[in-house]
Amino acid sequence: MQYKSQAVAKPYFVAAIGLFVGQIVFGLIMGLQYVVGDFLFPALPFNVARMVHTNLLIVWLLFGFMGAAYYMVPEESETELYSPKLALAMFWVFLVAGALTIVGYLFVPYATLAQMTGNDILATMGREFLEQPLLTKIGIVVVALVFLFNISMTMLKGRKTAISMVLLLGLWGLAIFFLFSFYNPHNLVKDKYYWWWVVHLWVEGVWELILGALLAFVLIKVTGVDREVIEKWLYVIITLTLVTGIIGTGHHYYWIGAPEYWQWWGSVFSALEPIPFFAMTIFAFNMVNRRRREHPNKAATLWALGTGVMAFLGAGVWGFLHTLAPVNYYTHGSQITAAHGHMAFYGAYVMVVLTLISYAMPILRGRAANSPKAQVLEMWSFWLMTIAMVFITLFLTAAGILQVWLQRISDTPLGFMATQDQVSLFYWMREAAGVMFMIGLVVYIVSFFVKGDKVAEA
Amino acid sequence: MRPPPALPRLRAMGHDTTLTADSTPRLSGDLAVWFFILAELLAFGVFFAAYAFARMRHRELFDAGQALLDRNTGALNTILLLSGSALVVRAVQGNQRGEGRRSARWMLGAMACGLLFVGLKASEYAAAFAAGISLSSSLFHMFYLSLTFFHFMHVILGLVVLAVLWQGLRQDRYRQDANPLESGAAYWHMVDLVWLILFPLVYVIH
Amino acid sequence: MSSTEHAHGTPLRTLCLWSALVGATLATLFLGERGGSLMAVALLLIAILKGSVVALEFMALRHAGMLWCGLVIGWLLLVCSLIAFAYWKGA
Repeated sequence: MQYKSQAVAKPYFVAAIGLFVGQIVFGLIMGLQYVVGDFLFPALPFNVARMVHTNLLIVWLLFGFMGAAYYMVPEESETELYSPKLALAMFWVFLVAGALTIVGYLFVPYATLAQMTGNDILATMGREFLEQPLLTKIGIVVVALVFLFNISMTMLKGRKTAISMVLLLGLWGLAIFFLFSFYNPHNLVKDKYYWWWVVHLWVEGVWELILGALLAFVLIKVTGVDREVIEKWLYVIITLTLVTGIIGTGHHYYWIGAPEYWQWWGSVFSALEPIPFFAMTIFAFNMVNRRRREHPNKAATLWALGTGVMAFLGAGVWGFLHTLAPVNYYTHGSQITAAHGHMAFYGAYVMVVLTLISYAMPILRGRAANSPKAQVLEMWSFWLMTIAMVFITLFLTAAGILQVWLQRISDTPLGFMATQDQVSLFYWMREAAGVMFMIGLVVYIVSFFVKGDKVAEA
Repeated sequence: MRPPPALPRLRAMGHDTTLTADSTPRLSGDLAVWFFILAELLAFGVFFAAYAFARMRHRELFDAGQALLDRNTGALNTILLLSGSALVVRAVQGNQRGEGRRSARWMLGAMACGLLFVGLKASEYAAAFAAGISLSSSLFHMFYLSLTFFHFMHVILGLVVLAVLWQGLRQDRYRQDANPLESGAAYWHMVDLVWLILFPLVYVIH
Repeated sequence: MSSTEHAHGTPLRTLCLWSALVGATLATLFLGERGGSLMAVALLLIAILKGSVVALEFMALRHAGMLWCGLVIGWLLLVCSLIAFAYWKGA
């Protein structure tokens, strides 16, 4: 570890992995509720399990991003963090706020929770992914601003690299677009319109900048390729991302009452969204092939390459499948969307956070890389989780195609629930793949506790 | 953490991406910029095809809309972009002969062409908006405004690139390494190249 | 560096190519008075020719090897064929 203050990343990473486990547990519960409708009912209704599953994902990825930034920025800026104490304080604020919110979801009826937390003063609750109570939302803003202050001050006093500038741009964008979660107009069209400014401009906009910066950082470290070359690719990737991603927002405006031209703008530009992901894949493999050193941490390199491939497949290819307006007319809101969502989040964001944890955690624990034994186990977990996710995606895609056919295209269309019965076999298989994913995650956690000969001194 | 010593064999491979190999084929400009150019071409290509297939189903509407456009201004704009491209080529040629500083004026000429293009296009937009035309007026106008405006933004970005190159030429910065100059030039030619299809497609063919 | 020296041609060559491109643009303008599928194909052919000059000469792709020539000229041909197809079918 080059700078002492990088150590604040460690609790963030630990919390991220802990919440990741929670997310998968609730995913498995929901997966079972798809086929055994009254499983855990009424203690844990499906809608609550779903809310916990998706909110935990967002929160643990945010923990991961913040930890990654706290690790990366001092090293890039070649200076200690502006205030490690502030970083640790915010860690506890965010963890406690996050935990209380989840407890609130689980043990208080949602309407009561809304009443308790001041939703009457400013109504922000009840929208998908933005279900958090007002207090939690304000907490997120405070934590994000303090975090950005800390990171920005560190960069201001140190070296300014292209990679850390891109990261900062992404993180500021993340905070700024979250502010739209406080805007909740009565007009349903406007409501949806701006809701996407949080949801879409996060995952198909500014988060991709964070993804690109983190990947570039790890690639410089593990390959030793010239910074100049890596930065050049990063510039190309983020420009393509912003152009396709921002105008590509239009692919959510097809059927919500927005002007018709969005069907064209959205189709054309979102159809090009796979390009930056493709560039990222080429970039990752190219840099690893040109490597000037053999970094002892093979697992981190594997995660980095995996991020490139899976992000392209999940976000790029599976996104393209249903992004054109004439296709989306039939597939909108079906299991095809769920398939895309799963692989895209895993391939792009889960994997990039795990890449950074894989690279940074051994160093934070005082060694350049884990023992070969621990790395082999970590690589096993990589393949178990990744293959499981491929299966989850394939089964959901099959379910989605069948669903669209039976419910929307067929001459004698079935109702929603009747269709669900018809595709239950795929849901069972998805649940089995989910169990495999959980096993992979357990192996991943075990790999942190495997002792062995140290590979290299830190 | 200390990096292990690099392997000599791999160091030789770890050269830049700019394809400056000794073998004859040589890309004028940086590989990363060319990747970007290909992505741009793909974006315009998709948009052009969408226009053509939308027109297939609404022929009268498209022909009527097109008849309102000023074809002469379109042709003049084409000539401006072609001239700008040729002037950029002259600047690159001058730099190759080691006359970087002197060839800055060619770059200035190219920028003048670009600025005239922007001015003409802006007056075209002003007339269209004065006539109450918007993205929602008709399918043709949606395409006309979207396609030309998307291109318009590229011209503006291209002008920024040219301004940077002009500054660089005046300081004779590309004598040793013409890569930035050639990369920027390639981008400007791409802006020209897509217009060469856009002009007949939107303004002329009916 | 001999290949670099001639990659972008001579000023005279550039002047000739520019004149040809301007001539082709004027031809597009005058021919374009008339409509129809045949004229559409003719105008697209002119566009392909003009585009090829810009790509091969100005962008110096004729020195860049088959792959890059193929990619850009292929793009030109593909896009123009798609347009021609749509205009032919729509006629």
